[in-house]
Amino acid sequence: MDALAQAIAFVLQWQNLAALAGGTVYGIIIGVLPGLGPSAGMALAIPLVMTWHPATALIFMGALYKCSNYGGSLTAILVNTPGDASNAATVLDGYPMCERGRGGVALGLSATSALVGGTIGMLCLIFAAPFLADFALEFGPAEYFLTAILALSLIAAVVQGATIKGLIAAGLGLLLSTVGFDVIAGHLRYTFGWAPIEDGIPLIQALVGLFAVTQALVLAESASSISRLAKLSGSFWEGVRTYFLHPVIVARAALIGLIVGVLPAVGQSSAGLLAWADAKRASRHPETFGQGAPEGVLASETATNACMPGDLVCTIALGVPGSVGAAVFLGVMIIFGIVPGPLVFVNNAEVIYSLFVALFLTSFLVFIVGMTVARRLAVVTLLPNNVIVPLILVVSLLGSFAIRNEMADVVISLAFGALGYVMLKRGFTPIPLLLGLVLGEMVETNYHRALLISGGSYSIFYSSVICKVLILLTVLSLVGPYLGPFWRTLTQGEK
Amino acid sequence: MKEKFKSAEVWFKIVLLFVFSGFYVLAIPFPQDSRQFPQLLAAISLALTVIALGMDFLRAQAVAGEIGDVDDTELKVLDAGTRRARRKRFYQAWAILLVATVAGVLGGFLFSTVLLFAGFGFAFGRRENWVRNTIVAAAMTVLVYLVFGRIMAVPLFNGVLW
Repeated sequence: MDALAQAIAFVLQWQNLAALAGGTVYGIIIGVLPGLGPSAGMALAIPLVMTWHPATALIFMGALYKCSNYGGSLTAILVNTPGDASNAATVLDGYPMCERGRGGVALGLSATSALVGGTIGMLCLIFAAPFLADFALEFGPAEYFLTAILALSLIAAVVQGATIKGLIAAGLGLLLSTVGFDVIAGHLRYTFGWAPIEDGIPLIQALVGLFAVTQALVLAESASSISRLAKLSGSFWEGVRTYFLHPVIVARAALIGLIVGVLPAVGQSSAGLLAWADAKRASRHPETFGQGAPEGVLASETATNACMPGDLVCTIALGVPGSVGAAVFLGVMIIFGIVPGPLVFVNNAEVIYSLFVALFLTSFLVFIVGMTVARRLAVVTLLPNNVIVPLILVVSLLGSFAIRNEMADVVISLAFGALGYVMLKRGFTPIPLLLGLVLGEMVETNYHRALLISGGSYSIFYSSVICKVLILLTVLSLVGPYLGPFWRTLTQGEK
Repeated sequence: MKEKFKSAEVWFKIVLLFVFSGFYVLAIPFPQDSRQFPQLLAAISLALTVIALGMDFLRAQAVAGEIGDVDDTELKVLDAGTRRARRKRFYQAWAILLVATVAGVLGGFLFSTVLLFAGFGFAFGRRENWVRNTIVAAAMTVLVYLVFGRIMAVPLFNGVLW
């Protein structure tokens, strides 16, 4: 409690409040720009904060990370391009709402989700973090491996009725993650002598291609603006009211976000998609999901915002990032000499608790900013496609180039854009592919480590209780979509 | 329309079969530790693709679209004219994108961005508004340059010719 009190006093110093506000605004701007997610945003901000106090720098970066998620939800709603994989579920109903001219309501839902979900997540986290860190210590390589497999199978299962296609896409993503230097033996694989992919396929560039370039190409096919009604109806406050009319969905989504957030390597994208699928299953009108259901937006956004603090705990306590953004945040921590691990809560308590307090305050800042400028941002959807499409392409490809100053990265983004487009038009969603790419290295490393520990015996993957639970959950997630109709038939007597 | 969509999906899965086989075969010369994981993955993915293909052929009805599809317009019944127009716009978009990328490699950010905005303006906007399209292209290029190049200090690519 002393550490928490000291942290509150530290965050309330003017320079830290300025860093908090700066990170919030910068994060939303970065998130709003299609293709530039939190990872690219944090990478671009590193030179700016290099000379700052570590805690102040982490406050800035934490606010940037959290708010770019909100900014990313704006682009997910307005231009069908999630700023990061974490906003993937928001696209499903947010964009259809926008197409129907209810962009204002969707933005209100998103901002309220950031406030409520973020506050719930941070409150639980501030008091539970040390205990969660202790629990996370129980995870060994086999558990990490199975956790990642669970995440992939869950994503595949969310694509209901097409679990196999989801798994195929995830398999492709995992295979693409093996390109470059082998994490165990250091052998070069599948590079064909092309240097830019020797360190692996760059994640951010792939993400830019799969979402921003693909979306630009889809938009280019249509002659109109994004909003087919060419006007925006529904107010921000209508979105806020709608949010509080669904307390059960909010509670369930927040719980899902918290649980998923604590699990190592299962990031916000999984939380959002799981909460969306849960809200759909629980709904009396599941057919409206994917067609612009407000419950879909509030469930996915609440879970994502509640998940983010837990995601950070895994990153801070274990050094296992739950998402690409968290991976960059991990790098930022190391740059400032804060070594992730359970001892960080003892050695750097002031820094870590300052970060938590700052993130708590950020939830309120996001809501205020969302309330004041979100409506204006909705105008983006009225821009004609011949302006918005090249804008998306220029900004996203610039972001792709800026990370390593390599033109080859633009080519990689374009290649993934083409792949994403082909996948969409052939009935595959690129989301499992992206998750496979993100988790690939971790899956392979822990697979080999577990086998090394067991002397080559596969029994290590089902020896502990945690492993057994993870395997059970994985099987359930894969079989669940097929059991659903079976159970309905059984209980309702339908033929 | 549904039948055509299904056949396109089947062709994509056949391509995936070759891709996964390629990953498996290309891993053969790798050391044991390096090839084990990708070969295992490729084998599982191959098996899943074969199952998916088998289900496609066995299923009497056309495959339904997925929830995760961002754009399901291909599933809707579109008239031939609309389909042709969409396809034409798609090819035009790719052509502009590739020309702008090559211009970027040769001439740098400014050439590439102007070409991209102008290309989309002329190809997809109204031709008679050529003055407005040109002004929009120039203004957007300047805006992107100021925001990224100046305010955010993002490195903008230089062409190989400079």
